[in-house]
Amino acid sequence: MLLACGAAGYGGAAPAYTVNLTPAAPKTLFLAVGVGSFSVGIYNSGGKPANNATVNVVSVSVPAAAVGSGAVQTMTTNSTQSNSFLDNYPFCNAPGELYVGAFYRTTGQGNGGPSGATLIATVPATLLNAAGDPIPFSQISWTSRGNGDLGAEPFPAGSFTAGGSQTLGSVSRDQWAESCWSFSYGNTVVPAAGTFTGRVTYTISAP
Amino acid sequence: MRRSYIRPFCIIWLALAAAVAQATLAQAAPALIDDSGTLPYNATLAMRWPSGPPRGPAARQLTGTLQLRVRLNVAPWLKRRGRIYMVLPAQQPGAMHASWTTQGRLLPGELDAGSRALVYVGPILSPVIEDVVQLTVTVDGRRLSQSYPVNFHFEMDEG
Repeated sequence: MLLACGAAGYGGAAPAYTVNLTPAAPKTLFLAVGVGSFSVGIYNSGGKPANNATVNVVSVSVPAAAVGSGAVQTMTTNSTQSNSFLDNYPFCNAPGELYVGAFYRTTGQGNGGPSGATLIATVPATLLNAAGDPIPFSQISWTSRGNGDLGAEPFPAGSFTAGGSQTLGSVSRDQWAESCWSFSYGNTVVPAAGTFTGRVTYTISAP
Repeated sequence: MRRSYIRPFCIIWLALAAAVAQATLAQAAPALIDDSGTLPYNATLAMRWPSGPPRGPAARQLTGTLQLRVRLNVAPWLKRRGRIYMVLPAQQPGAMHASWTTQGRLLPGELDAGSRALVYVGPILSPVIEDVVQLTVTVDGRRLSQSYPVNFHFEMDEG
């Protein structure tokens, strides 16, 4: 009798209801430092990453009386990118902050497989003025945050390693990663007068 | 005297043990409900990063949502009382969270993979219980290296 009742409960029943979880994008690796581009709108409205050749500038003018004093000088950027390419959320506060955003979508790797992409900066040894006088790139550092952010930053605070490549952070598989950087000039050296420039190149790579 | 005292005690104890075992078995083996009328079956949830704050670690979570017309055949329990649970068994791709809203016939709720949540309690007054359910599934994107079929089912505890 008990068996008959049990059979009535199971008789003709579908064993389970099934839905298929499907990653929404093909394999994609995206990086924007400062301004960037999406082909149409933003990611969550169906936009696709696009190339943007803009090179943004982060700068500061140190008053003559303060040169070499050790008083840290806050830098600003000419980037206008404050909103996230994910959802247009106002994540950063330009010009005080530089938007750094990346994502990595991939399929075909099982759990425990290659896990992420890496953001690397290639940094010259020095900034130079027109006469070739140097300022070490290690004079420049940054803090990291974001509006509405919780937990550790994917691209944390740091300072440039003069004359080499340095890892700035990583992006897990199927992670949207973004941080807002506020740069500072350490101002602990007394350079020659002039306008000093240098270019850092950011590269993201995945296995 | 001593023997006549022990025997009834043993018999009562064994009877109690049997009753407890039966009750435990009844609770441990709820009946699977026929949900084959639920549509769409085998639907796709396009998993995306959610919009807005909070950011940070939450940006590793992918979420997908889908509207279902849930249709449960509860005819075997007609005119009895029961508790219906939605069950998300532990399965690939691992840790998952599901939440849902309803139009009132079933209870809204949420659950993690490997658990169940109450969606109905009361008398079974009709052979079919139907509702429109907005189901949202969240999973750590690092686990979603491919498409995964995820199975839910409904089960009945009587009484």
